[in-house]
Amino acid sequence: MFNLIKKDFFIQKTQIGLLVPIIMIFAIFIENIHPAFIFLIASVFIPLNAYIFDQQSKSNILLNSLPYTRKEIVAARYIGAIVYMILSIALAGVILYVFQFDYTMSDVAIAAGLFCLIAAFAFPLFYFLKAEYIFIAAFIGFIVSTIILPPVFRFLAAHLTTITDFITSLSIATLYLSGAAIAIGLYLISWVVSQLIYQRKVF
Amino acid sequence: MENVIELHDVSKSLKAFTIHNMDLQIKQGYVTGFIGANGAGKSTTMKLIMNLLQPDNGEINVFGLDYASHEKEIKNRIGFVYDSNIFYESLNLKDISRIIAPAYTHWDQQQFKAYVNQFDLPLNKPMKKFSKGMQMKASIAMALSHDAELIVMDEPTAGLDPTSRRELLDIFQEVMVDGKRTILFSTHITSDLDRIADFIVLIDEGEILIDKPVYELQEQYAVVKGSNELLDADTEVYFIKIERSPNGFQALTKEAAKVRGVFGKHVVIEEASLEEIMFYMKGARNLYG
Repeated sequence: MFNLIKKDFFIQKTQIGLLVPIIMIFAIFIENIHPAFIFLIASVFIPLNAYIFDQQSKSNILLNSLPYTRKEIVAARYIGAIVYMILSIALAGVILYVFQFDYTMSDVAIAAGLFCLIAAFAFPLFYFLKAEYIFIAAFIGFIVSTIILPPVFRFLAAHLTTITDFITSLSIATLYLSGAAIAIGLYLISWVVSQLIYQRKVF
Repeated sequence: MENVIELHDVSKSLKAFTIHNMDLQIKQGYVTGFIGANGAGKSTTMKLIMNLLQPDNGEINVFGLDYASHEKEIKNRIGFVYDSNIFYESLNLKDISRIIAPAYTHWDQQQFKAYVNQFDLPLNKPMKKFSKGMQMKASIAMALSHDAELIVMDEPTAGLDPTSRRELLDIFQEVMVDGKRTILFSTHITSDLDRIADFIVLIDEGEILIDKPVYELQEQYAVVKGSNELLDADTEVYFIKIERSPNGFQALTKEAAKVRGVFGKHVVIEEASLEEIMFYMKGARNLYG
């Protein structure tokens, strides 16, 4: 399993080198950017790139011919994503600190939570769809969410005052804890779903 | 004689075709050539053996173990070679071996280096710049460097020039010298097998038509040539498929000894090549099937 996680590093050695300058560009040149967004970009970079790499070649045939089980391959993807997220956020934290870009631990927490949510939806979709459709799906998903989500939120905010009252009444700690619980819960559910999909996959 | 691979009553439906109730045993310590036309079901069968596909019905055992509970143990003892590049194209051989090596418990780095030297493979060139022959050799070097007892190769010679094919066949012969290993080797270029195969399995449309030792094939199967007058309802039964022309007939028999007895010197009997057997068997199926 550790070998599979290490593999994600090997296959994108050169691309990982790009991560440092990308974070530096954000830290130096873009002033009005939310630090949580920088952490999010940094954390998504390696797991997403690893996935794209695995799709470009027939690596599913390779990995499944090696002495690994399908369960392990999926587990390595999920555990590896968390490992690389933590490392990337730490790296981004150091770079932002060096360039005196202010951030708080809550920015880190928000980024980690969002990362779990994005991964929880993206990974099963990646396993389910064929590689050539993923970018189309991601693109359509992005367009649809930018068109539909803002009015939905506005509608919810305006009409469901009980919900918004409830959310604002929560203490910061409960808010963060429940956010974390939801993100982790979805991530775990997503893991199970991915495993079910991958077990049935035909190469 | 022990079986390394056993398929019992295996069925698998795919979009393109189906495998119906296949039974197959691959014997330990021998080279089995798996032949058939393109699309006959060779790759599907190989994928079933590698557990890349799971059967709808039936049982697959490798080394007497089943995949459901011994997947890692089985694959640890198999070396695989596929007809196309399955390695990360932008990586060089050194990095790929770093990914492959830790997966196996018996990886032998010295052995791997020895093959890399023997095959003249560059360690620092990305895979996508390798020629087809070099990719195959790289694949074979990795398949042979972890003390695998079974080597499964799906069309390892496809797309290679005659010189590289010959080189590869020499390597397989070397590998077999110690007698412990088993090779399952699919190809549609039957001449590859003339030198190295001990057993031949012929598959067509997902069905196994022949599964015999090479010497039995050579003994039993023959191409018979003679004049058309020799053919009638009584004599035609000796042939699997008959091709007639105004100058006479040419036919495949699997009862060479009987044909020799019946026709004597009236016909010419020649040893049937694998290609001829494959061609006539397929012809016979199209006729009656």
